[in-house]
Amino acid sequence: MTISRRKLIQVAGAGAAALALPKKTLAAKKTLRILQWNHFVPAYDKWFNGQYIKEWGEKNDTEVIVDNVGIPAINPTAAAEVSAKKGHDLFMFLWPRPAYEEDVIDHGEIYQECEKKFGKPIDLAIKSTYNPKTKKYFGFSDMFVPDPINYRIDLFEQVGGNVDSWDNIRKYGKMIKDKTGVPVGIGQAAEIDTAMAMRAVLYAFGGSEQDEQGNIVLNSKNTLEAVKFVKALYQETMTPEVLSWDASSNNRAMLAGKASVVLNAISVTREGENKGMEIVDKIGLAKAAQGPTRRMGLEHVMSNFVIWKFAENIDGAKKFLVDLIGNFHRAYEASEYYNFPCFPKQVADLKETLANDKKGKPAGKYSVLADAQQWATNVGFPGYANAAIDEIYSTWVLNTMFGQASTGAMSPEDAVKEADAKCRKIWQKWKERKLL
Amino acid sequence: MRVADDPKALARILIAPALIYIGAVIGVPFVLSLWFAVSDVTVSSAAGNYVGLENFRSAMGDPSFRRALRNTFLFAVASQVIVVILATTLAVALQKDFRGKWIVRLLILLPWVAPVSLGSIGWLWILDSIYSVINYGLYHWLHLCGPEPGMTACPVWLGQPSLAMASIIGVQVWRTLPLATVINLGGLSSIPQDIHDAANIDGAGFFRTMFQITIPLVLPILLVAVLFGFVFAFTDMIVVWVLTRGGPYDMTQVLASLAFFKGIDGGDLAGASAIALFLFPVLAAAAILLLRLARRAEVI
Repeated sequence: MTISRRKLIQVAGAGAAALALPKKTLAAKKTLRILQWNHFVPAYDKWFNGQYIKEWGEKNDTEVIVDNVGIPAINPTAAAEVSAKKGHDLFMFLWPRPAYEEDVIDHGEIYQECEKKFGKPIDLAIKSTYNPKTKKYFGFSDMFVPDPINYRIDLFEQVGGNVDSWDNIRKYGKMIKDKTGVPVGIGQAAEIDTAMAMRAVLYAFGGSEQDEQGNIVLNSKNTLEAVKFVKALYQETMTPEVLSWDASSNNRAMLAGKASVVLNAISVTREGENKGMEIVDKIGLAKAAQGPTRRMGLEHVMSNFVIWKFAENIDGAKKFLVDLIGNFHRAYEASEYYNFPCFPKQVADLKETLANDKKGKPAGKYSVLADAQQWATNVGFPGYANAAIDEIYSTWVLNTMFGQASTGAMSPEDAVKEADAKCRKIWQKWKERKLL
Repeated sequence: MRVADDPKALARILIAPALIYIGAVIGVPFVLSLWFAVSDVTVSSAAGNYVGLENFRSAMGDPSFRRALRNTFLFAVASQVIVVILATTLAVALQKDFRGKWIVRLLILLPWVAPVSLGSIGWLWILDSIYSVINYGLYHWLHLCGPEPGMTACPVWLGQPSLAMASIIGVQVWRTLPLATVINLGGLSSIPQDIHDAANIDGAGFFRTMFQITIPLVLPILLVAVLFGFVFAFTDMIVVWVLTRGGPYDMTQVLASLAFFKGIDGGDLAGASAIALFLFPVLAAAAILLLRLARRAEVI
């Protein structure tokens, strides 16, 4: 069989056209690449990846690709993307990352658009995404996750106590440990739950890393009182286990019946409910504990979506965020009330939905979260989350300070002094880089 | 044709891909990190200003850095001393013929073949504060510790500073032992049998043969194993990062993990580079020294 030159060219031409045409069609469709975490409530990812992005993609003639990664992969991936100036169009951090301010667009426009359509955002969102020095929004928060106290109702009933204040947690936590051997489980390790819990104590005792104007004030009488309190709390009610924990250890401890109190989002109880674990009905939720100065808790997760300056589909990413706020009620439901709105009007029935939650036992378990916005604050309270606050948070300066004092490795005074010196150095550095 | 006939030109052409590869993958990042260490770059901006040795001065003034430096030496030296002893013992044992030798060799090699991150995660669960299989055994089978009144509390492997350090050293030993054993085994196999036979005829016992014949002859190769082990222990952070993340309160922090937290998580790439490069002169000098010793021992 022989093939003429003319025939060969015709066949090759047809083949090349066939290969080229679909590519051309695909190229016409825009792409939006999103990176976000593996949600602690798997139902959210199921909804977001399996349903929401498909609907949004069809409406906007865009192929939406979501890459879900574990928490430890978020920061290294961001660093790699910024270094390569290539990556996702939308990148979600779990806490503010103002260190990347120069690499992201000003997200103020998205806030303005959302405010026009959906009303004002909460102060927590602004404090976590705005740099007052440069007047730039370095991120956009669609949601925050409250960080209530999870406690064993049965154990606290046995000793006739409650978790309303830090003093009570200490007093009744000790009684429970002495009586049943079950310790309090508030982390003292190099991980995010500890970082949030220790700040909750610090702020409740009137201490903080910075004041409202952004001056370092860590080395204060109030901080020292907070450190002394945590030392007593650790020595009277806990075991060294909390020094080895990672972000999910307190979930496991609570569900294994090995902790009387932990500070965590509702992922603990949701996991227990979804797995049909009996112990979950014994776990109660309470608002942040009252300290000598105030009742203050942190958010457990503070979503910070950023759009890199080098993103290929900046307009698509902006529209996606605005539309996500427009659909936030669905996101709230899909997350089983884990994601709380930064634009509260989008979940106007928050109180009712929490009260009517069908999974939680005893009934109304989640109602306590209805006013979470009143007692949840941002990392860097009472100021804004800035680049120095980010480094202090990410390098576990406060976690180490509390851990050193709790275990007696250092006196509370020395631990505070050491942490304060570290903070000042970090502060100075970011000031020189003109981000503070 | 002319190039193919010229051995020198041919050698240059053949070695060029390897040199280009090493230059691109090792050389460029190394030079970049040298620049980072004397600049004020952040994770956000690679275009920084020259600040001289400020990052090194700043690191030395930081108590976390000093703790990490101390921990790095403890971690590296302790793990390598144990590795050398165990690897030599294992290599000598594996030289003998016995039933199931191949499976023992396979088991010893497994930790090296498995990805270190997966192996470390396995150890994380073995040493977990709640689900530790070791503590399960100590409590349920040996009744040596437990939560019941009157019993000693079980160890918190990753929560008590000394145990946490012992744990990361143990896992590092588990991880680097196979390579050292294989290198030693290669060295032992290269010793001519007639030397052992002569020693045997002269009446040398096991220990005399070991310390006066075997170890001196295998020393050049053993030093290479030690060099590899030290470099891994000084520069690697996976075991520490997975097991303790430097905790409790910096007590297992090593330079590599501190640099990661500071640079990638904290955003201070310049400070992190200074920390990461801090030991480079020491390591380079140690490498040169060990390689020279190895060569000298070989000549003797």
